[in-house]
Amino acid sequence: MKLILKYLRKHWGIFLISTLFLTMEAVADLMQPTFMSKIVDNGVRNADTGLILLYGLIMLAIAAAGAFCAVMRNRFASRTSQTVGNELRLDMYRHVQELSLENIDRLQPASIITRMTNDVTQIQDFIASMMRMMVKAPITGIGAIVLIIIQTPRQAPVMGLILLIAAVLIWCNIRIGYPKFDLVQKCLDRLNRTSREFLTSIRVVKAFSAEDQEREKFSDASEQLAEANRKAQQIMAVFTPLINLVVNFGIVLLLWVSQNQDEAQIGRLMASVNYMTQVMFAVTMIANVMNTAVRAMASSARIQEVLDEQPAQDMAESTERPEIRGGIALEDMSFTYAGASRPALKDIGFAIEAGTMLGIIGPTGSGKTTLVNLIPRFYDATEGRILIDGTDVRKMEPEHLRKAVAVVSQKALLFSGTIRENLKWGCADATDEQIREAARIACADEFIEKTEKGYDTELGQGGVNLSGGQKQRLSIARALLCDPRILILDDCTSALDAQTESKVLDHLTRKRGEMTVLLISQRISTVMRADRILCLDDGCVQGFGTHDELMRDCRVYREIRHSQIGGGENE
Amino acid sequence: MSNRPNAVPPANMTGITRGGRGVFVKPKDFRGTLRRLWDLTRGKRNGLGWILLLSALASAASILSPYLSGKAVTAIKDGSPVKFLLLMLLLLYFADWLVKLLQKLLMATVGQRVIHHIRNTLFDRMIRLPLAFFDEHRHGELMSRLTNDIDNISTTISNSLTMLMTYAFTIVGILLIMLVLSPLLTLVACVSIILIVLTTRFITKRTRKMYAEQQKDLGVLNAQIEEGISGLNVVKAFCHEREMEKVFTEKNDRLTATAIRALIMSGYLMPMMNVINNLSYAAIAVFSGVMYVKGQIADIGLITSFLLYVRQFTRPFVEIANIYNSFQTAVAGAERVFDIMDRETEPEDRPDALPFTDPTGEVEFRHVRFGYSPEKEVLKDISLSVPAGTRMAIVGSTGSGKTTLINLLTRFYDVTGGEILLDGHNIKNYRMHDLREAFGVVLQDTNLFAASVLENIAYGDPEASREKIEEAARLAGADAFIRRLPDGYDTVLEQGGAELSQGERQLLTIARAVLADSPIMILDEATSSVDTVTEQKIHHAMLAMCRGRTSFIIAHRLSTIRDSDKIVLLEDGRIAEMGTHDELMALGGRYAGMYLTQTGACANG
Repeated sequence: MKLILKYLRKHWGIFLISTLFLTMEAVADLMQPTFMSKIVDNGVRNADTGLILLYGLIMLAIAAAGAFCAVMRNRFASRTSQTVGNELRLDMYRHVQELSLENIDRLQPASIITRMTNDVTQIQDFIASMMRMMVKAPITGIGAIVLIIIQTPRQAPVMGLILLIAAVLIWCNIRIGYPKFDLVQKCLDRLNRTSREFLTSIRVVKAFSAEDQEREKFSDASEQLAEANRKAQQIMAVFTPLINLVVNFGIVLLLWVSQNQDEAQIGRLMASVNYMTQVMFAVTMIANVMNTAVRAMASSARIQEVLDEQPAQDMAESTERPEIRGGIALEDMSFTYAGASRPALKDIGFAIEAGTMLGIIGPTGSGKTTLVNLIPRFYDATEGRILIDGTDVRKMEPEHLRKAVAVVSQKALLFSGTIRENLKWGCADATDEQIREAARIACADEFIEKTEKGYDTELGQGGVNLSGGQKQRLSIARALLCDPRILILDDCTSALDAQTESKVLDHLTRKRGEMTVLLISQRISTVMRADRILCLDDGCVQGFGTHDELMRDCRVYREIRHSQIGGGENE
Repeated sequence: MSNRPNAVPPANMTGITRGGRGVFVKPKDFRGTLRRLWDLTRGKRNGLGWILLLSALASAASILSPYLSGKAVTAIKDGSPVKFLLLMLLLLYFADWLVKLLQKLLMATVGQRVIHHIRNTLFDRMIRLPLAFFDEHRHGELMSRLTNDIDNISTTISNSLTMLMTYAFTIVGILLIMLVLSPLLTLVACVSIILIVLTTRFITKRTRKMYAEQQKDLGVLNAQIEEGISGLNVVKAFCHEREMEKVFTEKNDRLTATAIRALIMSGYLMPMMNVINNLSYAAIAVFSGVMYVKGQIADIGLITSFLLYVRQFTRPFVEIANIYNSFQTAVAGAERVFDIMDRETEPEDRPDALPFTDPTGEVEFRHVRFGYSPEKEVLKDISLSVPAGTRMAIVGSTGSGKTTLINLLTRFYDVTGGEILLDGHNIKNYRMHDLREAFGVVLQDTNLFAASVLENIAYGDPEASREKIEEAARLAGADAFIRRLPDGYDTVLEQGGAELSQGERQLLTIARAVLADSPIMILDEATSSVDTVTEQKIHHAMLAMCRGRTSFIIAHRLSTIRDSDKIVLLEDGRIAEMGTHDELMALGGRYAGMYLTQTGACANG
């Protein structure tokens, strides 16, 4: 709620004007019975046709004015709700972009996406209906009662009583109903989780013939939702008719009290009865308010969670822009993922000069990817320092640093757009010649030129129309176009067959020039190309040196080699 | 006065923004779909008759109370006793309350029961669909079938149907009473009806197009968000934040502009209705006033009644227009649901299907052909005989058809030509359930469930004892890391395994297959994401697991399959080479080449 108010405050001027129009609209509605009563009490009683027509015209004018107000407040409400949605999305997007990957891991991308889409829509709906209707209901309801009392003062105690009972009932309804609707929301989330899990695991489900198990899981979640819904609706089923009854009761009381009424007041009595129907309209809004409000609350809490996420990294002191040549040194560096119990990297220390090709090898989970992610500051070291050409990466301006470091990760990610546009991510003003050259080095030119439109081939979202190997080659070419000082290849040739892989690596070795290259691989044959090899296991450096040195000194390295060439026939 | 059993939320007055999906999509076959929906709820809708009856009764109050109120006003004016009339009115309201309470209570129960039933039916149908279906559809889309579309149907059933009932009776009832009271005034009131119908038509015709546009822009923006967030590490790596934000802002603004236009247009509807309503109110007031003066109406209470009627008369018309729209939305949703239900499920077992209890594991492919689409054959004439107990390795480059071959074996897909025999019978002759139980599968994708480690391993066999589960984990080499988890085997994988490393996840899926203890094992790139040392460690477990069983091993790393009984090299959907490692090396063909590229450098070092 705070969130919604905060964003509405930005538009408080428009919100006020809109509320003003809404109020005037309600007033216009409320004035109708009053003039009607004048028709009866003044016109009809005195048989004055002219007067009747005059009042009729006034009523029409008021109706027109009311419609004008309604149109205006609708314009404002539409604009405000959509603008708030627009701002919310933009603010979230900006904020998420500023977060570090550590935050994203915690929030989970899929969840962030739903919050930016569905939850924002819920808030928009809420604001729109609030500005259109919710404010109007109490104005109309209370206004009608006030008018009844003005028209027929002797009704005051009756009206007071009715109002009190209705208010108590509405309060009870909200108190009892809110948690029920809240529960519905939670059950809905659970059903969504269950079905998402089922859909992603469909192969496993089928392979293990576990259909019955999944059916049961789903049916449970569905039943809980149905049960929660039933309870929520039953609460409404009890309260809504009851509140209606109270208001209807008011009408009867009103007439009862008016027995022995002075004839001159008959028009007023009629107006009062009319007003009661308007009170009824206001009261029936409760059910809807509840539903939309609960959803909006739940949504705003979820959005708030994203906006409250503090970037895990402090970039305030990162301002230096030294020339980067590519020398890397790690000093007693340790890193622990947030929430993890043991460090992913422990006391890592090594140094390489600019232009070195460093191979990194180690078992799964030994921390290879974690290590290279620290260099462009996707994460920050928990202890120790990482220096590039003697400067702590945390002192460098992130953009300056990241322009000099290119990362090709195992999971190749492309974006919708043409192949050319994707490659140009590396360098916005790359010439066609440069693009072709990069593609050639990455062995991507063959398949690109085979496509009908070549470099202008449109890629679907995430490059869905390419194979894994094709995506990997494109992402290598993209990184090469950056002309980085440090190139990180994180097992990014895994989807290529052995021949293509070695061809790509051959090209790279030949063309890299002064570039520092960090080459992560699980294959000994791949890292053997490097000048130096770093062998990791369980987050610790097990060996650092050339292949021969490691073969001599490093047990883990020997084990890996042994595992890959088998029984040792070549030894 | 109390004729609104369940007011429609204002934002939805014109059928907009509910669920954000399928709005104003016209159903293809409105009646047919409605009839199917009706059939689908058979056996679950008892009580519906009562609900409809109660809905009809619920219109009584709105029909009769204005009449009684008018009578009371007349009586008050004339100074005659009103106590009896008021008592009647009071009784009417109590009856109204009772009817609505019962109707709503019943509706909550019946409605939810029906929804639960439809949802389960859909899921049950979905789970039996062949794998191809899930490959073709985005998860988000299928999920919105299971939730949004069904919710739409539910709202329609529980609200619209009853409201329709109430409103229809209200309109007819009020019309009759008004006609009896004063035909002339009724005519005046009816003018407003025509105006309402015309205005509604005029506006909804325009909003329909606008909403379609809004849906489109929303889809575009959502895709942009998805791309930007899930690719954030790349965006950051290339310092592309500003560019991404620019594109985002552009699409965000476009959506906002179209949405505002659509909202404003649809927002004209309610004020217009209100004007018309007020107009007829004023008209009735004037006309009846003049008529009273001229002596054409003898009764002041009649004016009261008419004023109340005219207020209530227009609303049902607007609401029915709304109901019609939400019906359209719901029926369109129902069509999407039926679209899934109409898909061909995996073939049912034939009545004479063979049980498959104790297979030996002899497999034979005979001239097998297969293509995911008719134009493009992935497997071309594969013939392959695998004696029971053979350890069979399948190698080949990406796209050569390795996984497809395995998918045919487990009948995830069915061959388009030729046949596959298991223990001498075509696999299509076996009961599907038995057939799949005969295979233990470890896939490259490590799908775990948001449940405890124990439950995850026991996925194929929920009744397995704890000892057996731990034994399986030990055999798979997963025991050590599981014990390091906070709660050991009882650790709940809240994020479906995202908290484990890829290798650890793979070990769990291997343990899962070990526990299933199937006669035929399939390892589809099972160790590709595990490092070679870990792979070595589980290699023995895998050997033990495969010993005495027929097994199919797909592998990228040739070192892992060297000692297989037979190696098949697939190339472009055909068997290019076949034999033992030594035979193939001696052959000096593609396999030998691949093997040397992978290990050659090592051999030289």
